[in-house]
Amino acid sequence: MKQVLLPRTLDELWDSLEADPNTAVYAGGTDLLVNLRAGRINTNKLVCLERIEEIRGVRDAGAEAFIGAATTHTNLLESPLVRSEFPVLAKALRVLASPAIRNMGTIGGNIVNASPAGDTLPPLYVLDAEVEITSRKETKRMPVADFLVGPGQVRLRADEIVKGVWIRKAPEFNVHHFEKVGLRKSQACAVASLAALLRVSKDGNIESARLAWGSVGPTVVRSAKVEEALVGRELGIEKLSEVAALVERTVSPIDDVRASAQYRRIVAGRLLLRLAESGHKK
Amino acid sequence: MKIRFKLNGTAMQVDCAADRRVIDLLRENLGLTGAKESCAAGECGACTILVDGESKLSCLMLAAQLEGREITTVEGLASEDRLHPLQEAFVEKGAVQCGFCTPGAVLASLDLLKRNPSPTRAQIREGLSGNLCRCTGYHKIVDAVEEAAKTMQSRERP
Amino acid sequence: MGAAVPRADAYTKVTGEEKFAADYYSPDMLWAGVKRAAVPHALIKGILTDEACMLPGVITILTHRDIRGSNRQGVIRKDQPVLADKKVRHCGDGVALVLAEDSETLRRALDLIRVDLEPLPGVFDLEEALNQGAPLVHEDNSCGNVLLEAHIQTGDGPNAFEHCDAVIEGCFETPWQEHAYLETEVGWAREEGDGRVVITASTQTPFRDRVEVAEAIGLDLERVRVIAPYPGGAFGGKDGITVQTLLALAALNANGRPVKMWWNREESFVAGTKRHPTRLYYRLGAKRDGTLHALAARLYFDTGPYDHLGGVVMTLALEHAAGAYRIPHALLDAWCVYTNNPIGGAFRAFGVTQVTAAMEQMMDMLAARLDMDPLELRLKNALTRGEKTCIGVTLTGSTGLVDCLERIKQHPLWTERGAWKAAAGPFKKRGVGIAALMHAAGYGTVVPDYANAKVELTPEGRILIYCGVVDMGQGNASTNAQIAGSILNQNMDSIELVLPDTDRTLPSGSASASRCTYTFGNALIGAAENLKKQILQKAADLLMAPSTDDLALVPGKVFNRATGAEIPLTRLARLMAESERTAVSHFRAPVAKDRLNIADELRLHGLGHAVISYGAHLAAIEVDGITGAVEVVSYLSATDCGRVLNPQLYEQQIHGAICQGLGFALFEDFQVDRGSVKTPDLATYIMPTALDMPDMESLPVELHEPTGPFGLKGVGEIATNGPTPAVANAVADACGIRLFRLPMTPQRVLLALQGQESQ
Repeated sequence: MKQVLLPRTLDELWDSLEADPNTAVYAGGTDLLVNLRAGRINTNKLVCLERIEEIRGVRDAGAEAFIGAATTHTNLLESPLVRSEFPVLAKALRVLASPAIRNMGTIGGNIVNASPAGDTLPPLYVLDAEVEITSRKETKRMPVADFLVGPGQVRLRADEIVKGVWIRKAPEFNVHHFEKVGLRKSQACAVASLAALLRVSKDGNIESARLAWGSVGPTVVRSAKVEEALVGRELGIEKLSEVAALVERTVSPIDDVRASAQYRRIVAGRLLLRLAESGHKK
Repeated sequence: MKIRFKLNGTAMQVDCAADRRVIDLLRENLGLTGAKESCAAGECGACTILVDGESKLSCLMLAAQLEGREITTVEGLASEDRLHPLQEAFVEKGAVQCGFCTPGAVLASLDLLKRNPSPTRAQIREGLSGNLCRCTGYHKIVDAVEEAAKTMQSRERP
Repeated sequence: MGAAVPRADAYTKVTGEEKFAADYYSPDMLWAGVKRAAVPHALIKGILTDEACMLPGVITILTHRDIRGSNRQGVIRKDQPVLADKKVRHCGDGVALVLAEDSETLRRALDLIRVDLEPLPGVFDLEEALNQGAPLVHEDNSCGNVLLEAHIQTGDGPNAFEHCDAVIEGCFETPWQEHAYLETEVGWAREEGDGRVVITASTQTPFRDRVEVAEAIGLDLERVRVIAPYPGGAFGGKDGITVQTLLALAALNANGRPVKMWWNREESFVAGTKRHPTRLYYRLGAKRDGTLHALAARLYFDTGPYDHLGGVVMTLALEHAAGAYRIPHALLDAWCVYTNNPIGGAFRAFGVTQVTAAMEQMMDMLAARLDMDPLELRLKNALTRGEKTCIGVTLTGSTGLVDCLERIKQHPLWTERGAWKAAAGPFKKRGVGIAALMHAAGYGTVVPDYANAKVELTPEGRILIYCGVVDMGQGNASTNAQIAGSILNQNMDSIELVLPDTDRTLPSGSASASRCTYTFGNALIGAAENLKKQILQKAADLLMAPSTDDLALVPGKVFNRATGAEIPLTRLARLMAESERTAVSHFRAPVAKDRLNIADELRLHGLGHAVISYGAHLAAIEVDGITGAVEVVSYLSATDCGRVLNPQLYEQQIHGAICQGLGFALFEDFQVDRGSVKTPDLATYIMPTALDMPDMESLPVELHEPTGPFGLKGVGEIATNGPTPAVANAVADACGIRLFRLPMTPQRVLLALQGQESQ
């Protein structure tokens, strides 16, 4: 029998973490309990973060917003702040797993689980989100791209947890786009996904662009080269097709049971084309 | 460990392992077999229950997490003499075939209608999209939820 | 009759009260589980159970040495061991059976068992299995890896292609399809004080199971009782033994304690049966005006290591391989082969899904070649009543293919398809495809397709129907209530059902083959009519009426129209002897009477059916040019399944079958690599969710079938056959590509589109 602890404050949490460093921490349990059942994790102590109020909810902090790590996907989807300031994130959340999983799973879990297919990750990359990491001793912020090292790998010590993410508002972008390619419309693990923020001028030119792909590399793929190639160009099929070829060369997908690397590569590029339909063409 | 929670409106205290899955606690210890196990990995929705009114998967929750919560299982929906409008609509509209996904689908629908009392058919499909059904093709489940939404709204109106 | 009545079982299912086989628990229960091979082909050198036996909470561990019976099971050929003895033939073969106090101990004990296996080369491709020198799955099989083969030639056979103006060829591959019922294989068993073993299992075949269990583990038939509650889905996957024999074996070693066995999803995927994968080579020839002239087909079925129902599946496929068309010359060859892959078995529509997918695509390919309207091509060649099928079966029953096609032809989804396609949005391509279907019901020749119905007027004045056929979700139990209620003129609330139980109900065959309501319904009509006579006779005696002519059986009573006298059933029942209160009837389904020029073995495997349903399907789809994803926007079907007794149940069957068919066409990709399952769970085996399915329109074409109960024919399977060809034809219509492999995933579609661009 495993011990299950439900600390109500961070102070209680530190006590439970320090007592035994071989502790598995979870919030929604939608990944951890699956891994536990499959025998991929071996631990005698589980600490559940769902009741720590300090790491729940969305807070407006002026130029930024703070999202507590234990905020569920449903809470985020229902947050007016997320919907108005971060549509790219809301669009990803809308197609994340299923309603019941969204009621359980949290944004912190999606980050720490560090799956290349994590649906919130490409939006967090294009939003230049920062992860707030905290331990009993210190609190620090780290760009999400630095925090995620590889599949299932993050820069997090055993005495630390992710407290939440900071996202700067980015009103300059008038296109918030997210598309996931899965094998069905719900309960689908991403075969490839694209999050995009664009500033498009009235006459249809791309003035700035941030793009991130999921499921086509060990972590989310962002490419300065690709973004630069779009800036200053007209948002249209012709230019997007050209850059799609560059995307195919940039991403590094693998074959798995869901799709081939070849398909992922092609579709990662082609997902750009949908931007032509984002309502800001001439 | 001792865990206190409300189950279908009744306060309870159970003594069980903290890491017992909620689905096992309900089915084996408490005899409530309405919640079904089908994948044990959060992929099918058959074990859906409501926790403080929200649909959750009882195969991915541990007993300790029930402390202080209000749990609703399919057994708790009907009153003494009357089915819940959703149950009534599932029966009337032919949304039940083998019935193994039915309890989960009913509870997922209840969560949906609480958040969105008059959903479109597309929104109903989205609300049910975590509940796999191998018999109905979903069409009649959507019919049933649509019908229940109407009934529940008309009953709420004075 | 004919009204959309809610199902009798819906109330208890929607409240959670209904007790499925999975829902049995008791404080003194034990858990049983199976150690499986996990390698596809190997000799068993040893089974090391000592360490597992030492684990506290382990009751016992059994192997093939503990089995006193034949240790073989199988519906047709008994080639599957209960627990493997000399070798294992696929990854799901059971090697040891563990009984433990709780499920956690069971899991740990299974981990501790070591099976010493010496790997053997395996055979994994259904054509390579036929090669000289291919590894043998069963060394004692007289024809290598061939389970069953068949060759049928009609007319001039392949020589007739010389006289064709257009000849089309295609090779189609279809994968396994997993039943993926929500309730995985499960049961509960106990040895009673009198030494009988009572098994409560999720099964389609309690009566056959009883015999199989008894033989395999060496018990007198009398010592085995099988009870079949409503299964939580079955679709053919519970047609035959899953947990039953293992449970009985466990129960005999449990000191009278009840035993539960419940396969988890991964075990169900590895050990359960699946729709047979096929490779189908087709060659179809026609005259310039579209008249079909010649067909050649070579059909390969992969049954895995065991027959299960593979030979019968292949034979039914063969009977349907040419579709419902007039084709005077044909050569049809088929092989069902053993491999070390997962077990092929019964799955809704039983081989017909695969051949229809091929033949109905061939029809569209031919229409394109001849520049003909695909619907007109089908109408031109559609069989009508009295004609013979390609293999020579005369269509003696109602034959509504033309009617079904006409309904599609007149529907706006067909007539206005041009405008709809033209309105596709950016990056989208739209297409509309159709398919014509036939599906025969029942077991066919030789194996008797019969049912025995029993109806009782209880001492309390209620009607009790003893259902011999399982209701796995189709609603046949409800239809039984409707049929008996209609004949006996009693309200639904006074009718009760006894679900299949080898002690209480009468043997009536399996829940399969679109036969349940047809065969059992006919028997039930007889039983209900007998009971009605008996009730009226007794009432006449008691009311001192000269005959039963003036008596009417009405809800709750018998009424004398001449005198106004009446007698309530509650009173009448108390005055009747048990033999007067019960009535039985036997029905045996008709089979094709044609003298077919086929091998006896094919007759034994069922070839030649008399009762056939028909259908026509239409799929309107949209292909996303960016991702290759295919979305089904609208789906229309027209079905001739005879008279519809309950439109709600009719639609349920059509909708569910279409959903499984669309799953097969677009999503469900059961992947196996050298015998090992690569899609072991519901996260990797992708089935449609509510968001992936369209609303469906299901038109009944209610031709009266003279042999059917109230004019009905079977409807359980036919609609499974339409979606694959209808969608494939729609995809071809939308963007000119045809995928010869299923499912039509976004990847396959996009890569085909790119290949087309580069050409």
